[in-house]
Amino acid sequence: MSSQAEATIASDTPRPRRASRSPLARRRRNAGLLFTLPVVALVGSLLILPIGQTFYYSFTNWNGFEPAQWIGLSAYQNLFSNPEFVSVIENNGLIILAIPVAVVLPLAVAFLINTHVRGWRIFRSVFFLPTAVSWVVIAYVARNFFDDSGLLQSLLDHVGLGFWHPNLLDHEHSALVAVMITFVWSMFGTNMIVFLSGMSTIDQEIYDAARVDGAGSLAVMFRITFPLLRRFVQLAFIISLITAFSALFSLIYVMTSGGPGYGTTTLEFFIYQQAFTEGNFGVAATAGVVLFLGVFGVSMLLIRLLRSDD
Amino acid sequence: MIWRRRAARGLIYATLLLVTVVMVYPFWFMGRTSLRSLSQYYLGRGYSLTSWHDLLQALPVARELFNSTLITTCAIALILTASTTAGYALGTLRYRFSGTVFLVLASAMMVPMQSMIIPEFVNLARIGFINHYYAAILVYAALGSPFATFLMTTYFRRLPEDVIEASLIDGLGYGKIFFRIMLPLAVPAIVTVAVLQFIQIWDDLLVGLLFLQTPQQRPITVGLATIPSQHFLDVPELMAGSLVSALPAVIVYLVFQRYLIRGLTMGMSK
Repeated sequence: MSSQAEATIASDTPRPRRASRSPLARRRRNAGLLFTLPVVALVGSLLILPIGQTFYYSFTNWNGFEPAQWIGLSAYQNLFSNPEFVSVIENNGLIILAIPVAVVLPLAVAFLINTHVRGWRIFRSVFFLPTAVSWVVIAYVARNFFDDSGLLQSLLDHVGLGFWHPNLLDHEHSALVAVMITFVWSMFGTNMIVFLSGMSTIDQEIYDAARVDGAGSLAVMFRITFPLLRRFVQLAFIISLITAFSALFSLIYVMTSGGPGYGTTTLEFFIYQQAFTEGNFGVAATAGVVLFLGVFGVSMLLIRLLRSDD
Repeated sequence: MIWRRRAARGLIYATLLLVTVVMVYPFWFMGRTSLRSLSQYYLGRGYSLTSWHDLLQALPVARELFNSTLITTCAIALILTASTTAGYALGTLRYRFSGTVFLVLASAMMVPMQSMIIPEFVNLARIGFINHYYAAILVYAALGSPFATFLMTTYFRRLPEDVIEASLIDGLGYGKIFFRIMLPLAVPAIVTVAVLQFIQIWDDLLVGLLFLQTPQQRPITVGLATIPSQHFLDVPELMAGSLVSALPAVIVYLVFQRYLIRGLTMGMSK
């Protein structure tokens, strides 16, 4: 079986002139192709094929069962003139506002942990812990937290703001705020780890030299640490953005089901809804392409960033 | 000077403790609430095991934990097979188009699940895969493999080329080099990939929701997320369920956090 596969690969690929001269190089290439085969088969059939199909179906009218009808670019025109879709895009835009918070808070705390006070490792473990917890669980706890009988309200009662009942999850225009707060909470650990690993790359000697030159700790922070961390701050921004756009489905599904109204329906939730509750597979595919292009664009930026100063 | 340093340290601890409270509160809330009956919960006093008992009545928790474990383990096995072999080929063997293959796989890493899940669902439904464990296993394996391959390839690339040369001279074939030499060397990377994937797959909802719709096959996240539509679970029962579902991933995290952190920071810092 394996030698058969090896033979087909060998005959299918154009032979590089120099490699084919030496039998050793040919053996090496064949082994390489053979060992790449499992991942290519798996990812090709179950990831690359369907994303290609999404592009095709994005130009069609399709309910998932009957053959799709080609409607071309008007699929995109329809989507962008759909008022529901416009509010979905607005929601995604609003979520971007949470990202600076999701970056700055862990950055500040990473500074504190990086002073290496006694027990800093324990703090690091505890702050990173939510990363291991599923969105489903986080969503159930968050729902209780923001409830009128939940902790948020009793905190407000205690500080004398008991007359104010924000009830964030009950209103179309405030539910997204609750989702954003929850998002910031669960992003905290990941971003903190990004910053801590960034800080560990900074050479301790730079600090010593600065101290010798008489720089105060604030000067050290603003003149040395911040500039050296710039790349990691950008990285945290992009990771948070990708998470916000493509990994909040389960949170929204359990916490708000996209509501009230369209209050918390983000692009990825809209795709799910269109396909699996409305049966508009074509519309969902069109929105899927929009999401793909957005996330892919941001990710390319990330790769450029990581490569830029190697 | 000394009092200033002490004050600064006090301030640091105060802030870190505040953050600790914010981060730990949900776990404490889950634990305490699950140990109360609904009336005790509203009263804010007293403890009992009623909610745990009722949870086990309402949800097939053991079955769902088994399903989650089975799906997660099989998917990780597939991911490790695909990514170690590919990492070896792309990282050390390097043939003519290996650069292109690597680039395509690295791009596949950026595909959001929602963008490919619809045709995926239709394709697998057409060949009758829905409601079989292997549907979810295959989808998870395909979603996890690009990143795993990326990690493995960068890991194998750092291994010295001499190892291969020496083994070839010793008369080992490329297959034997992989199994006898490269695979043992890759154990740290393998653990990292396994831990990252365990948490990701165990915690996921969407794939289970779409591909495993019968109660017998549901993983625990799906069981938990879809309760309200079938029977009503009160807050303490829900918290007991949340705790059960969170626990395995939290334990894996606590045992292997070193590997998890390394996996997340791999590629960022050298």
